[in-house]
Amino acid sequence: MSSPFTERKLDNLHWPLVLSTAIICALGIWNLASATRNWVAPLWQAQMFAMAMGAVAIAFFLFVDYRWLSSLAWPGYVLVLAMLLAVVARGKTVLGAKRWLSVGHWQLQPSEFLKISIIVLLARFFAKDETGLRKGQYGLIDLWRPFALVLLPVALVMRQPDLGTALVTSFVAMTMIMFAKVRWQSLTALVLGGAGAAVLAWNKGMKQYQKDRVLTFINPQQYAKKQGYHSIQSVIAVGSGQWSGKGWGEGTQNQLRFLPEQHTDFIFSVWAEEHGFLLSLTLIGLYAFVVLAALDVAAKARDKFGSFLCIGVAGLFFWHAFINIGMVTGILPVVGVPLPLFSYGGSSVIVDLLGIGLLLNVSLRRFMF
Amino acid sequence: MMLVRREADDIREIRPRAALGALVVVCAMLVLVVRLYQLQIVRGDEYVAQSLSNFRKSLPVPADRGVIKDRLGRVLVDNRPSFDVYLTPAFCKGKEKDEVMARLATYLKMPPEDVDRMRREYARAAAAPREQLETSKPYLVALDIPRDGVDVLEGHRNELSCVDLIPSPHRAYRVGQSLGHVLGYMSEVTPDELDEHSDEHADYHRGQTIGRRGIERRWEQELRGKDGKEAFAVDAKGRRLEEAMNELLIPPEERLVPASSGNNLVLSLDTALQEAADKAFPGRAGGVIVMEAQTGFILAMISRPSFDPNQMSGRISRTEMARLFSDPLKPMINRVMNENYHPGSTFKVVTSLAALEKGILNRSGTLFCNGGYTLGNHRWRCDKPSGHGALTLKSALQYSCDVFYYTLGDRLGIDPIAEMAHKLGYGQPTGLDLGRDIPGVIPDSQSLIKAEGTYQKYHAINASIGQGDINVTPLQQAVAYAAIGNGGTIFRPQLVRRIESPDGKVLREFAPQIVAKLGIKPQNLALVQAGLTAVVNEPGGTAYRSRLSDVIFAGKTGTAQVVKLGSKQKLDPTQTAYMSRDHAWFAAFAPAVKPEIVVVVVSEHGGWGADAAAPAASKIVEAYFALKKDKEQEIAKASKTLPPVLVSRVAAAPLPPEPQLAVELSTPAPDLQWALQKRRSARSAAVEAQAAEQASAPAAEDANAEADSSREPEEEETAEATAGPVDKEPRSAQPAVAPGTQVARAPLAQPMNEEPRPVPQEPPAAQDPAQNPPVGQATPEPRTQSAPAEPADASPETKAANLAPPAGGN
Repeated sequence: MSSPFTERKLDNLHWPLVLSTAIICALGIWNLASATRNWVAPLWQAQMFAMAMGAVAIAFFLFVDYRWLSSLAWPGYVLVLAMLLAVVARGKTVLGAKRWLSVGHWQLQPSEFLKISIIVLLARFFAKDETGLRKGQYGLIDLWRPFALVLLPVALVMRQPDLGTALVTSFVAMTMIMFAKVRWQSLTALVLGGAGAAVLAWNKGMKQYQKDRVLTFINPQQYAKKQGYHSIQSVIAVGSGQWSGKGWGEGTQNQLRFLPEQHTDFIFSVWAEEHGFLLSLTLIGLYAFVVLAALDVAAKARDKFGSFLCIGVAGLFFWHAFINIGMVTGILPVVGVPLPLFSYGGSSVIVDLLGIGLLLNVSLRRFMF
Repeated sequence: MMLVRREADDIREIRPRAALGALVVVCAMLVLVVRLYQLQIVRGDEYVAQSLSNFRKSLPVPADRGVIKDRLGRVLVDNRPSFDVYLTPAFCKGKEKDEVMARLATYLKMPPEDVDRMRREYARAAAAPREQLETSKPYLVALDIPRDGVDVLEGHRNELSCVDLIPSPHRAYRVGQSLGHVLGYMSEVTPDELDEHSDEHADYHRGQTIGRRGIERRWEQELRGKDGKEAFAVDAKGRRLEEAMNELLIPPEERLVPASSGNNLVLSLDTALQEAADKAFPGRAGGVIVMEAQTGFILAMISRPSFDPNQMSGRISRTEMARLFSDPLKPMINRVMNENYHPGSTFKVVTSLAALEKGILNRSGTLFCNGGYTLGNHRWRCDKPSGHGALTLKSALQYSCDVFYYTLGDRLGIDPIAEMAHKLGYGQPTGLDLGRDIPGVIPDSQSLIKAEGTYQKYHAINASIGQGDINVTPLQQAVAYAAIGNGGTIFRPQLVRRIESPDGKVLREFAPQIVAKLGIKPQNLALVQAGLTAVVNEPGGTAYRSRLSDVIFAGKTGTAQVVKLGSKQKLDPTQTAYMSRDHAWFAAFAPAVKPEIVVVVVSEHGGWGADAAAPAASKIVEAYFALKKDKEQEIAKASKTLPPVLVSRVAAAPLPPEPQLAVELSTPAPDLQWALQKRRSARSAAVEAQAAEQASAPAAEDANAEADSSREPEEEETAEATAGPVDKEPRSAQPAVAPGTQVARAPLAQPMNEEPRPVPQEPPAAQDPAQNPPVGQATPEPRTQSAPAEPADASPETKAANLAPPAGGN
């Protein structure tokens, strides 16, 4: 295997992607420093450390051909599943949710690693030759395996409970399925099945606070009194940013802690409040660029595995960014979804950077036959 | 290779989907951008305002309520520093909450109902919608806790993280129960009142207090002041930010809007006289009123039983409150103005005047009392079964013969009696500035026909001695007797002399208000006055035992029958015996000629007026003149030993100068002098008095004497007191200006406006209400025009000359 760091290959590195990712990371640190300005713990340093780890991981990963990952799909999946079960058994409970696993000094959030594991596993599944299929297209029966593989860990995540991660993981999986050759009848059935699953989840699986969030979103007037507080304060924060924002560290909604969870789920509100419309637009543009670049790399990948990996990563970034920003601006219900590379959280940051690493790897090897 | 090519084809198939995906991504991101534009640009201002109001909290800075003083500036009601205990639910939750509440209950020795209330309030705050931040708002747990409670809480500060001690002014009533009804009390505005959205409660908010009853209620708007506002920044938990942050976030001019204190009230009450009256009044229940006969200003007012305003304004328990309201003696009713009594024999003056004015009785006319009066088959008895024999009006009043008045009533019919009663102010509210007073009941033939379907002679016979359906209030009695004593002027009774700003500037001065002039022939009034004087001062008079050695006063006893109580009232026998005893009345004015004060005493179930009411009235009259003499001596003493400035201070009593004082004190020996003075012409009397004034009290404050001129229509007022450096303005240019005619005075006072007088230290304009008569105040207009306006020289002096001379000295 040749080194990717020969001159020619460095040229092939997707530099715009590297640059935009670096910018997002830098802005994320800067913003996190404001969100946690008066805190005792310097969270932005921990975040920077996670990013450094992610960057190192990317650098090493670039030496390896991504196709090697295909063989890691199953072991990785089993490992994540084991970790999720471990969370159920002896996880750390924070704010009523059991999501974290203590590994020595570290707090791991296995549900984050689930996302990347699902992407790799589904990419491996869809990379297989479809010649055995009828008319070369997937039917519902052909898809039972990926569904089962996704639903099992997602169910565990729902139990934690972590509706946001469960939702995003499902969405990412669905996105990848959409890009595979699936019969339209099957797609229709999928949508219906999804609706049925939602009803089932509503009646059996969801906690009251999760239901309240959805109800709040559907009928904000009625639920505004109890559950709408987060949403209202976030919208106030965003709206009061106006054109150019209140300035770094000057956002009253953020600094006086009217914003809930301002360092994780509501980090975008901090950005919008302190830096205003124009820079919020810039940030959305950066995310859009990453997603579009991922789709571009997917379209130009040399094999289906790489292509589906990129589609998975595109889905990862798109759904996270869209749901998170939609949530803090009040057009989507409040579900706990982090904003990639902005929200505080080591596991999330490393997974996002691993995703970027996948894109770079696929992009780097698109001409290698 | 084959496989690779197939894959390449597959990837080529992915491309259109990727393009579609890209389109979806761009659209989704555009949705976000549009939403951001809507929030940040279109509605940005709105959200900026919301984010501001998020961290801006403002608390009212309570204004100091105005002080209430008596006529000499003695403080009756003021504010004292105190501490209230507040609890902020947001800062103690769960288990800590229960611990804190248990500790508070112990430390403050809270009664169970207060503990319940504390828990209820907590639950209310906790149940409120979160964005209202109700849990961050401190709520009141205990009002005005005692000093040792403050110490205990301070000592346990660390265990009570969510508890705050807030300093706040509380109302302090310096006098006991005797002024409860006059002053009223304070209590918290109820949620119902706030919900009414009436004008009265428009700018009140939860937790504020409002005046209840009496002066506190009637003058709420003057006393209240205006609360200030303190704005500060809080974090999301409602906690105050540190000062540096605060200064950053709140503009300096908005941080503190200071409160402005309420205005002070100076009442016409005399605390010393009030105390004397309270001591003199013997009954368990009843009322006393002492009023200036020539102005209508009230000097003392007692309604017994009463309540303690301090207790009512504090945390009074519900059971205590229930006890007050269910007490059969009705301590919450101001008997002086809001209770109906039969006037009994005190009403005979009305019958007398009606008969005199109708011409069916004259000075020398007599009627015969044989011990009873028979009409049809009913016989009304007289108090003296053997009969009084032949009686003139004077002796009829003196002995309080009933048969004399039965006869008059029979001859008059009820309507002339009712007409005279209405003239004297009965049957209508007096208009006292203390809230509403009841009108009483004066029946006439029409109202009787309407109510009972018939009018019979016995109605008039009962009415003639103040029984039957006749009901009056003690206040009406005072007004009527003042009018009889002062020569026929019905005054509106008043309690407030002036309103002062917190720094002592006079904002509004209340002049005597004449409601009507009676228009009764002076000789007729004089006959009644003579009769009333005989009651006290001539042997055989019903109140002869209550006469005073150095003051000749006039009055009338009354013994009002009480409607017998049925057994259904379920009172124990001792109560029944008490409840069925007669009410004792005494209505008096003193001195008998040209009276200064009128005293009305009603002792519920006191029995005979002569025994239960007259002695009290007599003591009050005695006390009034004794107090006057004391003050006079004090001034005289001071003028000998102290420099003039200090003398003026003695004369003026505490802080604000008391306008009337100088004049009162300059009056020569009170009683028998009147007989002499009435024969002098007004002018020469004024000159004399002025000379006497200058000799005896040279230091009395000029401003005082002058302010007085708007109220006290007596000749002494013109006596100019000339204090050292104060120049002598053309005050002497109006000696003996027709006293008693308020209308005529104002124009005369006008020219003095042209040159403000330099009074040292104090702004002259504010000091001198006579020069600046408040519009609509200085010139009271008669409410009824039925009485012809008196000519300017028909002063009380000249009228007094027409009266029958008072009976000889004691």
